[in-house]
Amino acid sequence: MNSRNSSQASSERGLNDFLSSNSLLIGAAALMAFGITRRSKTSLALATAGGLLAANASRSRRQSNASHTRATFLVNSSPEKAYQLWRDFSNLARFMRHVKSVQVLDETNSEWVVLGPMEREIRWYAEIIDDVKNERISWRSQPDSLVQTSGSVEFQPHRAGRGTFVTATVRYTPGGALSKAIATMLGKHPQFMIREDLRRFKALLEAGETPTTLGQPHGPRGVHGSVEQVLFRETTNLAAPQAAHAYSKTA
Amino acid sequence: MKAVCWMGKENMQVHNVPDPTILNPRDAIIRITSTCICGSDLHLYNGFVPTMEQGDIMGHEFMGEVVEVGPGVSRDKLKVGDRVVVPFTIACGNCTSCQDKLWSSCDNSNPNAWIAEKLMGYSPSGLFGYTHMLGGYAGGQAQYARVPFADIGPLKIPDGISDEKAVFLSDIFPTGYMGAENCNIRPGDTIAVWGCGPVGQFAIRSCFMLGADRVIAIDRVPERLEMAREAGAETLNFEEVDILEALREMTGNQGPDACMDVVGMEASGHGLVFAMDKAKQFLHTQMDRPIVLRQAILACKKGGTVSVPGVYASFIDKVPMGAYVNKGLTMKTGQTHMMRYMQPLLERIQKGDIDPSFVISHVVPIDQAPAAYRTFRDKQDDCTKVVLKPWETAAAA
Ligand SMILES: NC(=O)c1ccc[n+]([C@@H]2O[C@H](COP(=O)([O-])OP(=O)(O)OC[C@H]3O[C@@H](n4cnc5c(N)ncnc54)[C@H](O)[C@@H]3O)[C@@H](O)[C@H]2O)c1
Ligand SMILES: [Zn+2]
Ligand SMILES: [Zn+2]
Repeated sequence: MNSRNSSQASSERGLNDFLSSNSLLIGAAALMAFGITRRSKTSLALATAGGLLAANASRSRRQSNASHTRATFLVNSSPEKAYQLWRDFSNLARFMRHVKSVQVLDETNSEWVVLGPMEREIRWYAEIIDDVKNERISWRSQPDSLVQTSGSVEFQPHRAGRGTFVTATVRYTPGGALSKAIATMLGKHPQFMIREDLRRFKALLEAGETPTTLGQPHGPRGVHGSVEQVLFRETTNLAAPQAAHAYSKTA
Repeated sequence: MKAVCWMGKENMQVHNVPDPTILNPRDAIIRITSTCICGSDLHLYNGFVPTMEQGDIMGHEFMGEVVEVGPGVSRDKLKVGDRVVVPFTIACGNCTSCQDKLWSSCDNSNPNAWIAEKLMGYSPSGLFGYTHMLGGYAGGQAQYARVPFADIGPLKIPDGISDEKAVFLSDIFPTGYMGAENCNIRPGDTIAVWGCGPVGQFAIRSCFMLGADRVIAIDRVPERLEMAREAGAETLNFEEVDILEALREMTGNQGPDACMDVVGMEASGHGLVFAMDKAKQFLHTQMDRPIVLRQAILACKKGGTVSVPGVYASFIDKVPMGAYVNKGLTMKTGQTHMMRYMQPLLERIQKGDIDPSFVISHVVPIDQAPAAYRTFRDKQDDCTKVVLKPWETAAAA
């Protein structure tokens, strides 16, 4: 009786979490932006649906905390292969969307160039502080960097041999000269950003490339089309929530 | 190049746009020789599927010649000069979905997976020319197309087989076939098929190929019903008879062993519930009109199967869940797992089991695409399937 109640409660909580997760807010923004730019009835409904999602999501955001910069993906690969791809930090820019380049300086040190607001370059040095082959890697910015950031990634084999769980955590500590720029860059949704980066890591690892439509042809976009072009990341290399944010500023 | 662009609801235009280029190592560029308009495109034409963007290039059923290959495609898989049909689903070949041959569920081909995840929990594969939610890839109603993961999708077509015979391997033949396979047909079975559009036509013929004894085909368009009869189906016109009653009568109060919905979200109907569905769809409190799905569930034999190749985009109301559960039905659905079926079905064409060109009613130059969309949607001029020729001009045609 008791256990039944508690399992019911926990599954309800799961559903609530799903319905009110931060990432929903991004979906909501997308739906709203899409709906509003299309002056049709579909749009109105989408905008309304978006509004509902947003209300849901923002309610939960009050309870959110730092652990939200974590994401896990199960990848179809051995821990060895996944570790190797990540351990060569020059690969990071291939799947971290806001990272323009990472130059490996020596065994543990690297120089990061990240694109901030208006595609402005922000630069810092990082060092690897923990490195267990095929298991985990941790890094953090040098103490004298303009940006205080740290990150780690773990590779855990699936118990039944169905690949490897890759779990990444990234932290940006507020404070410092560039904290405002960094905050804008991450948008209000660092959780979203890390999920998308990890999704691209999975694609790079499994398929050897990350899917893109950047640079493909299209017909005349018109006003609405242009707005949506930003939203769907056709013109910018910033992650979608930044694009959505940029949109909300021009709207 | 010329391309058919979606410029808004019921507004297709042919524009001159830049030629596509290789963007990823595993890309190829195809010079398109034949490309079709699909019933799925009508859902976009009619403005029922969200995340289309003004200027999007349409089309997902095309074939042609390889003119450029990216450095990541091995030459024994694909090379310049190969004549290929391109499947409408884009798949990487390496993720767990692809390795399970669930090609239309590929994890790695949708750059906008996050949008689809909001609506569906997890994202299906990217598709050509079919909304930004499903990838935002430029489509194939154009003179050229960029094909990602070109070492996985495109199927080489021997020279002896005409475009008209081969091009439907890009979607509707495999889709009809998978719809039939999903009916779990055993010898002697009776299958009811709602919708005698191009996909329905292939579904009917596939049911017979897979051993069905009877196929009962349902529509209201006379020439489409006639085409179904030519394949050996019995037909019902849903404007003339009560479908549930007629099926009960024809099966001796048993119901068809499997029911196939090859109509999808824009089904036509009549009566109060249909009026409510239409009103809701108009107001967009319900995006899809599930008339056929409801009928299929109610009509199906106890323990039978409901197969749904018809496309739904979001939410539906008043699904008879009671009937579904109490009769112990099974539902099977999905965008087609193309690469499972293309090679075997090509072999059937080569053996002469079927000549898919029977379904074509119109072959027109690409400039006439906007008018062709309307003709196909409104089922005027006995239109069953339109093939566009990207390199022909109106004068030459
Ligand atoms: N699952 C997939 O991968 C896939 C691939 C291609 C197409 N499709 C879908 O298959 C469906 C059919 O495609 P098509 O090209 O044949 O489209 P179509 O629009 O040409 O055909 C639909 C047919 O259904 C008939 N119809 C409408 N209401 C009906 C009703 N109440 N009862 C019986 N018939 C009714 C119409 O008269 C028409 O002939 C579409 O929904 C399309 O999106 C799915
Ligand atoms: Zn199609
Ligand atoms: Zn895949």
